[in-house]
Amino acid sequence: MDHSRDNPLRRFSAFWIAILLATSFGIALIITQPFAPDKTDKAYQMLSEGRLEIKDEIDRAQDDALNKETLAKALQAQAKSFDKNMESKGSMPVPGAAPITAETPTD
Amino acid sequence: MAEENSTADSKDVLLRSSIDRSLRHPVMFFFASGSLWLVLSIILGLVASAKKHSPEFLTCFSWLDAGKVDAAHMSTMIYGWGSQAAFGIIIWLMARLSRKECTASGVILWAAHVWNAVVSYGVIRIIMGEGSGVTYMEFPSEVWPLLLICYTAITIWSLIQFQVRDAGHVYVSQWYLLAGLLWFPWIAVTAWVFVFLMDGHPLMVAGVAAWFKGTLFSLFFLPVALGSSYYLAPKVTGRPVYSYNIALFGFWSLAVFGPWAGMQKLAGAPVPQFLPYAGAASMILILIPAIAVGYNIIKTVIGNSEAIAESPSLRFTAAGIVLFVVFGALSVFLNTVSALKLTQFSSTGYGFDILGLYGVFSLCAFGSIYFIVPRITRREWLSRRFIKWHFFFSLYGVSSVVICAVAGGLSQGQGIEDLSQPFGTMAERGSQFSWGVTIAWAFILFANLFFCFHLLLMWARLGRRSSHPTLLNTSHPTSPHGAEGEVNNYSSASA
Amino acid sequence: MTFKAFIIGLLATFGIPWLLLVVVPYSTMRSLEPVKYEKNSELSGAFVPKRDGRIREGSKIFGQEGCALCHTQVIRPTYAGNDVHRAEWAGLRKSSSVDEDTRRETIAQDFEQEEVAHLGQTRVGPDLSNFGRRLEHYLKVNKSSRNPEQWTFMHLYNPKGVPRYEVPEIGAQIITSWKSTCPPKGGLFRQVQVNGAGHGNLPLKIEEGVGIKPTDRARALVSYLVSLKKDTLGNPLPEALNFNPKAPKSKE
Repeated sequence: MDHSRDNPLRRFSAFWIAILLATSFGIALIITQPFAPDKTDKAYQMLSEGRLEIKDEIDRAQDDALNKETLAKALQAQAKSFDKNMESKGSMPVPGAAPITAETPTD
Repeated sequence: MAEENSTADSKDVLLRSSIDRSLRHPVMFFFASGSLWLVLSIILGLVASAKKHSPEFLTCFSWLDAGKVDAAHMSTMIYGWGSQAAFGIIIWLMARLSRKECTASGVILWAAHVWNAVVSYGVIRIIMGEGSGVTYMEFPSEVWPLLLICYTAITIWSLIQFQVRDAGHVYVSQWYLLAGLLWFPWIAVTAWVFVFLMDGHPLMVAGVAAWFKGTLFSLFFLPVALGSSYYLAPKVTGRPVYSYNIALFGFWSLAVFGPWAGMQKLAGAPVPQFLPYAGAASMILILIPAIAVGYNIIKTVIGNSEAIAESPSLRFTAAGIVLFVVFGALSVFLNTVSALKLTQFSSTGYGFDILGLYGVFSLCAFGSIYFIVPRITRREWLSRRFIKWHFFFSLYGVSSVVICAVAGGLSQGQGIEDLSQPFGTMAERGSQFSWGVTIAWAFILFANLFFCFHLLLMWARLGRRSSHPTLLNTSHPTSPHGAEGEVNNYSSASA
Repeated sequence: MTFKAFIIGLLATFGIPWLLLVVVPYSTMRSLEPVKYEKNSELSGAFVPKRDGRIREGSKIFGQEGCALCHTQVIRPTYAGNDVHRAEWAGLRKSSSVDEDTRRETIAQDFEQEEVAHLGQTRVGPDLSNFGRRLEHYLKVNKSSRNPEQWTFMHLYNPKGVPRYEVPEIGAQIITSWKSTCPPKGGLFRQVQVNGAGHGNLPLKIEEGVGIKPTDRARALVSYLVSLKKDTLGNPLPEALNFNPKAPKSKE
C-alpha cells in the first residue's frame, strides 16, 4: 500500500483546505457585502424630504417675521433690570448648603 | 463498487477492525442519542398531530402549545435524530472508504456531547416560547453558530481522511458524503447570516429560512442517505454498482437541482416571482436524480433478492431508495403550478417532509445502523423480531402519515380554493385526516421504541456474541455478509 | 473526476443558485424603492402602510408561540390561489354595511417593522392578513360593547368561546361560524386574586375572587394581531401597486 499520501504536513494542509472550503460561502458573503445596497428606509427618506420642505418654509417665514432691532432693544432693557433685581441673602441658613463665596457678577 | 474483496487478506481485516475500534465510541454515541431524540421527536409529533383534531388535548400544559410542539417535533427530528444519525454514518463510512483510522475520536465525542447539549437548549427555548420565531429555523439565533462549530469539530476529520487516503479509486458513496459535508456548512452559514445576522426584508428572511429547510434535505440528508445506500447495496449483495455513468449522472443532477429547492413555500408572496417557481421546478426535477439513483441501486440489488429478504441493512436501504423514487414522483405532482395552489398551505407539505426525512433518510440510516453497529460493538443484533417489527411498523407508519397528510392536505387545499364551500368545511376536512396521522405516528413510535431499546442494548455491549450475523430469514445457510468465521478472528471486521 | 474538478463542480452548481436565489434577491429586497402616490391623487409622498401597535414585539411573539403553523399571512394573487375571494381574508367586500371594497393582495410593504414575514405553514385556521379589519367590522356590525383587544384576549384564552365562561350581560361571542380548532393559549394568561372587577382582567367568572389577567406577552401579541389591517381602507394603494384598479367612474 502506498502511504506516501499520509503525512502530518498533508493532514495539516488538508485541515486548512477543509476549513477554507467549508467556510467558502461565508467568506464570499463577507466579500460581497460591501457591494450590496445598504439597508436604508427609502420610504422614510422620501417622506422626510416632504417634512423637511415644510420645516424649511416655516423657518424661513419665522426668520422673516423676526424684527431683530426691536429684539435687541428689548433685551438691553431686560438686562439692565436684572442688576436692580439682585436677590439678597436670606437670613435662614439652608441645611447642607455650601457657604456662598462666589462674587456677584459685576455686569 | 466491489471494492472490498470478500477474501480479504488478514492485513486488510485488521485495518478495518482498527478503524471500527477507533470510531466505536463516537459512532455509538451518535446512534444511541439520535435514536433517543427520534423517540422524543415522534412523541412530540404525536402530540402536535393530536392537537390538530383535538385542540383541547393536553392544554393543561401551556408549554405544549400546538405551534411550539410542532417546531420542537421538527427540530428534534432534524437536529436530534437526523443530523446525529448522519454524523455517525459519515464518519464511519468515510473512515472505512478512505481506509484511515480516526485519530480524533475524542474530539468528535466531545463535540457530540456539546451538540446534544446545544440541541437540548434550543428545544427547551422553543418550548418556553423563546425561540427565534422564524418558521423552519426555530432555534434561537445563538444556537446556530454553536451547532456549526460542533459540526466542524465532528466532520472535519472525515475531510482530512479523504485527502490523505491511499491513492486510488474514489467510491460513489464518497462523492455524496464529501458533497454533503460541504453543502451543510454552505447552506447553514448562508441561512444563519441572512436570517439572524443581517437586517433584511422580512419576506426574504422568511424565504431564506424556507430555502434552508428545502436544501437541508436535498443537500445534506439526501446525499448522506444515498451515500450510505451506494455503499450498502453493493457491499451486502457482493455485486458492483450497476452503472458508474448513471451514478455520475444521478449525483450531478442532484448537485444541479438540489440547491434551488425550498422557496416554493413563498408562491404568491410579494417576492420576485421566479423564486418560488424556481423552487417548485427544482422539486419537480428531483425526480431525475431519484430515477437515476433508484434504477442504479435497484439494478444492483435485484440480482440478489435473497439478500434483500435476509439482510436488515439491505431491506431498510432498498425500502428507503424505493421511497426516494416515490418522493421524486410525488414531488412532480405536488409542485406543478396548479397543484401548488392546493399544497402550499395544507398539510401536504408536512407529509412530504416526513416522507423525505423518515421515509427516505431515516430508512436508509436505519439500514446503515443495522450494518455498522455489529461491526463496531463486535456483537450481533439480539432479536430478529425487533428488527422485523421496526421495519414493518416504520414502513406502515410512514406510509400512513404520508398518505393521510398528503391526501388530507389536497382535500384541505381543494376546500380553500373552492369558494362555494365555507372555510369551516375545509378546516373540518383537515382535522379528519389528522386522526390518521396521529395513529400512524403511534405506529412509528412503537417501531422506534423497539429500535431504541435494541440499540441501547447493543450500546451496552449486550449484543449476541456470535459469528453469525442476525438475518431476517434463518433458512438460508449462507450469509449475505460474506463468509462467516471472520468475526471470531477479527471481530467486527467481517464484510 | 479529480478532486479539483469535483470541488469546482460543487462550487459552481451551488454558487449559481446561491447567488441568484439567495444573495441577489436578498440584497435587492433590503432596499426596495418606495412607491409614490400619483400627482393627482389625494395623498402625496411615498406609500407607507400605517400600523399602530407593538408590531415588532408582537410579531416576534406570534412566531415564538407558533401561530404561523396554522395561520398564514399572505393573500396570494389569483394566479397562485383564490385567497382574494375567500370571505373577508383580503379585506372587506362591498355590502350593505361596507361602502367600498377594500380587498387587495399582500404587498412587500405589508411586513414593515417585522423581523420576519409570517407567511405561515398551513391553513388550519383562517388567514390573518386582515384579522384586525375583519374583527373591527364584526364588532361594529354586531354592536358589541367589547373592543377588538378584549375580543382577541377572550379568543386566545378560549377559542371555542364556551358559554359557561361568559358573563351573561356581555353575551356569548362567536365570530367564527365554524367550530374553532385553535388550541387555547392558557400560557398567555395568569390567574390573579381580585376583589370585585379587577382592572384589566378578562370578563370571565371562574370562581369567586379569581380573575384572569393577560400577561405582557399576550398584550403585545394582541396589539400586533388587531393591527393586521392589510387592505386598502385608510391606506389606499398607489396605482403602481394596485392590481385591482377600480373601473373609471363615469362622469355624471
